[in-house]
Amino acid sequence: MYMVQALDIYKKFDELEVLKGVSLQVEKGQVIAIIGPSGSGKSTFLRCLNRLETIDSGTIEIEGEIMVQNGPGGKAVYRSEDTIFRLRQKMGMVFQNFNLFPHKSVLDNLILAPVMVNKVEPARAKETARVLLEKVGLSEKANNFPFELSGGQQQRVAIARALAMNPDIMCFDEPTSALDPELTGEVLQVMKGLAVENMTMIVVTHEIGFAREVADQVIFMDDGIIIEQGSAEDVIVNPQHERTIAFLSKVLMAR
Amino acid sequence: MDYIMMLLPPMIKGWTVTLQLFFLTLCVALPIGIAMGIARVSRLKPLKWFMEFYVWIFRGTPLLLQLLFVYFGLMTVGLRMERFNAAALAFVLNYSAYLAEIFRSGIQSIEKGQYEAADVLGLTRFQTMTKIVLPQVFKRVLPPIGNEVINLVKDSALIYVLAISELLRVAKNAVMRDETFIPFIVAAVFYLFMTAVFQQFFKWLETKYNYYH
Ligand SMILES: Nc1ncnc2c1ncn2[C@@H]1O[C@H](COP(=O)(O)OP(=O)(O)OP(=O)(O)O)[C@@H](O)[C@H]1O
Ligand SMILES: [Mg+2]
Repeated sequence: MYMVQALDIYKKFDELEVLKGVSLQVEKGQVIAIIGPSGSGKSTFLRCLNRLETIDSGTIEIEGEIMVQNGPGGKAVYRSEDTIFRLRQKMGMVFQNFNLFPHKSVLDNLILAPVMVNKVEPARAKETARVLLEKVGLSEKANNFPFELSGGQQQRVAIARALAMNPDIMCFDEPTSALDPELTGEVLQVMKGLAVENMTMIVVTHEIGFAREVADQVIFMDDGIIIEQGSAEDVIVNPQHERTIAFLSKVLMAR
Repeated sequence: MDYIMMLLPPMIKGWTVTLQLFFLTLCVALPIGIAMGIARVSRLKPLKWFMEFYVWIFRGTPLLLQLLFVYFGLMTVGLRMERFNAAALAFVLNYSAYLAEIFRSGIQSIEKGQYEAADVLGLTRFQTMTKIVLPQVFKRVLPPIGNEVINLVKDSALIYVLAISELLRVAKNAVMRDETFIPFIVAAVFYLFMTAVFQQFFKWLETKYNYYH
């Protein structure tokens, strides 16, 4: 059973075809890195996996359960809202811009959803939250507000907030792209920690170094399709496709 | 000085009428305005259109006309209301439209990322609105709401045209009777006092909300 299986995903925004038959299979504990040029559809694909965007056709299964598949007309048909809700709860999401709730303290950001959605006792939710803050190295910031934290700290809170819902799969959409270069390290460090603990992770990233070091599988997307896919060694060190080579040389030159 | 002391009791009586209208309008129009502001960004198209139409009517015509319409206009079709009730109804209808517009723009100013973060955490749309969006909206709309409150203090004088004995009418009658402008000055002081109090109140509210950015 795959943790996530996506088959032949198509997605248009109005007339713009953004995903043109993308497939992905993620095994438990795997770290998948998705790289590729701007506008290639990486974010859209990731967002389709947890239905932040709806797909036009294709199949998505989460832990062996179908969330959406093609109906008789070849168009994607989603399961009931209850099923979708249940499947989405297995996935955590970390955004480029953190999207912390600015009117809530760090601790309240972490306990909000466990208390409201999972009906966890506030006292227990706080205990869990403190453990998670410790894990991302921010124990002493529990009572601060997001605006009082650096970007890197905010993103670590966002990761802890996603973890507080106890997901099986963590999705990251360019988690370090909004950060000053000197702050990316602390976030990547936390993500490496998760990888070591065998968290299943799908990471859209421009951090080629991170992908190479941590990812079990690297996917290079361009123009709505997967051009190349394989181990970090294969895709980053020995890319076969010329578009991959061109992209990598551009990214690596820029550093 | 003796003259002013003599003026005060009737003016305070008029002032209480003004205050009644003020607080009644605020307490009723505020919740309605929030509800209509949410309705204006609703996914239910007919509801949204109806609210747009409503706001267009009540912001697009003079409050004075609405006031006269509710009292005299409706009277012509047999709907006779107490003067004060007619005035309060017109004010609530009018101010709801203005407040709805303020809340709509406040709601739309909340970043899409806030909705998405709430969504992936599994919050319902209702929880997202009440726990994530509206608390942030309240902070952002405080300055424009403060302006509307000041406007409401001054607009309350319009019910004068329905021959209701509010602050301004009491002052004007005294001016005519005693042939002195002093009652107008006293009325102005009353209005200035009210606007100053509400200005301070909103300033205080804004600093209270300053615990986050
Ligand atoms: N909500 C939307 N409505 C219309 N077009 C969109 C929308 N979201 C994305 N697009 C378009 O879809 C294409 C793919 O966007 P996407 O964000 O998936 O790319 P990306 O690979 O994540 O790029 P980047 O590296 O810049 O984040 C782009 O051309 C983008 O303009
Ligand atoms: Mg993107």
